[in-house]
Amino acid sequence: MGILHHIGQYFLLLVKVFKKPEKKSIYIRQLVLEIEKLGINSIGIVAIISVFMGGIITLQLTYNMSNPLMPTYIIGLGNRDTLILEFSSTVLSLMLAGKVGSNIASELGSMRITEQIDSMEIMGVNSASYLILPKIVAVVFMSPFLFIISVGCGLIGGLITGPLSGVVTVATYITGIKTSFVPFYVYFSIIKTFVFGFLISSVPAYLGYYVQGGALEVGRTSTKAVVNTSILILFFDLVLTQLLFK
Amino acid sequence: MIEIKNIVKSFDGRDVLKDVSTVFEKGKTNLIIGQSGSGKTVLLKCIVGLFDIDGGAILFDGRNNESMNFQERGLLRQEIGMVFQNGALFDSLTVEENVRFPMDMFTEMTMKEKLFRLNFCLERVNIRDSNHLYPSELSGGMRKRVAIARAIALNPRYLFCDEPNSGLDPVTSILIDNLIKEITAEFDITTIINTHDMNSVMEIGDNILFISEGEKCWEGNSSQIFTTRNKKVDAFVFASPFSKQLKEIKKMEGDE
Repeated sequence: MGILHHIGQYFLLLVKVFKKPEKKSIYIRQLVLEIEKLGINSIGIVAIISVFMGGIITLQLTYNMSNPLMPTYIIGLGNRDTLILEFSSTVLSLMLAGKVGSNIASELGSMRITEQIDSMEIMGVNSASYLILPKIVAVVFMSPFLFIISVGCGLIGGLITGPLSGVVTVATYITGIKTSFVPFYVYFSIIKTFVFGFLISSVPAYLGYYVQGGALEVGRTSTKAVVNTSILILFFDLVLTQLLFK
Repeated sequence: MIEIKNIVKSFDGRDVLKDVSTVFEKGKTNLIIGQSGSGKTVLLKCIVGLFDIDGGAILFDGRNNESMNFQERGLLRQEIGMVFQNGALFDSLTVEENVRFPMDMFTEMTMKEKLFRLNFCLERVNIRDSNHLYPSELSGGMRKRVAIARAIALNPRYLFCDEPNSGLDPVTSILIDNLIKEITAEFDITTIINTHDMNSVMEIGDNILFISEGEKCWEGNSSQIFTTRNKKVDAFVFASPFSKQLKEIKKMEGDE
C-alpha cells in the first residue's frame, strides 16, 4: 500500500508540475538559473570522472584482453563502446543522482520545513510548478550534453593513459575508436539520458516536496532520494536495453 | 470580514477543531490565543486554505472558500498576506526580490513601479539600506518585518500572522505588534494573529478568540480578558507567578 500511495502521489504531483505556468518570463528566468546550477555546474565533475574512467577502462581492457590473436585497436573500440553504452549514460546518471538528486531533495525539503512552500501556496503560486518544472526541464535538457562531454572526456582519458602506460599507441587507439562504429548506440544512450534525467530530477523533487518534520528528515530524505533514484535508473536501464535492443 | 461557521477538522481520527465559529472583523486586530496544541495553528491554516476543513464554512466577505473552484481560490489567495512564525522568506532571494516576488508573479507593473512599491513597503516596516541582503544576513526582527513588507506588497484585504513575535525580545515584539496594528488600521484590512504572547494580547487585542482543546472557549477584547470568570482563560492569562501577583495587586486596588 505504501508503494502504491507514493506512486499515486508522485503522478498527482507531476500533474500539478505540468500545469500552465503563471508567468512564462519568471519560469524562463528560473530555468536559466537551474540549467546553470544543475547542469553547467556539473560539467567539471563529469569531465574529471570521465577522464579517469576512460583511462581505467583502457587499462582494464588491456590487462583482461591480452591475447596475441586479438588486435590492439580493440582497446580503443572497447573503451568507446563501454563509454557510450553504459558508463556515460548509466554510471554517470548514478553519479548525477548523488550530486543533483540530493541537491534537489534537500533544497525542496528545507523549503518545506521552513514554510517557504506554504508561503508560496498562500500567495496563490503553484509552488510545485514554479519550483519543480524548471528543475526537470533543466536536467532533461542538460543530460545529453553531459553525456557527450563524458564520452569525449572518457576517450581523451584512454588516449592519455594508453600510450603513457605503453599498452597501445595513439594511432592504434584512434583506429579502434573509428572501427565498427554503430550510430544507434549513441541514439540509444541519448534516449536513456532523457529518461534518467527525468528520474534524477522528478523523484528527489517528489521526496523533497513532501518532507515532514525537521532537519533530520531533510537529511534522511536526501539519502532516500539518491538510493531510490539509483534503483530506478538501474531498473529503467534494464527495461530500455531490453526494449531498444530487441 | 472573515466569518467561520462550525469548522471541524480532524487528523487520523483525532478531532483537532470541534465546531468552531466566530467573526473576524475588518480593520481590527483579531487574535487567536490558546495553549500549545490547542488547535490555533490548525485553525489559522484552515482559514488560509493550507488545510481542507472536514465540515463547516469559511466566508471571506461573504465568499465561501469551500465552494470556489481552483482559479477562484487562486484569486482569493492573492488577496491574502501571511507572515509565518519564522518569516518564511525565500533563502535564495534578496530582501528586495522577496518583497517583489508577489508583484513579479501577479502584476504587470513596470520595474519602476515595482521598485516604488517595494521601497514604500520596506520603509513602512522601517527597513532601510538592506535591499540587497539575503535572509540569512538579517536579524529575527528584521526578517519578520521583511515578511510583513512582502505580505502587504499587493495591498491584501486579509492579513494572517502566525506567532509574529515568537523568538523576539520584548522591545522588538512590541514594535512588531504595533506595526501590525498600524497597518491593519491604515489599510483597513482584516487581520488575524495567532499568538500566545500575553503582551500582544494586552497591546493589540481588539477581538480575542480563546481556543482550548479544539473548541471555542471564550471570546472578548483585551480589557475583558482580565476580568473574565472563565477558569480556562484565567489559568492561561495568569499562568506566571508575576501575572498572578499583578492580578492580586489590581484586585486590592479595586477593593480600596
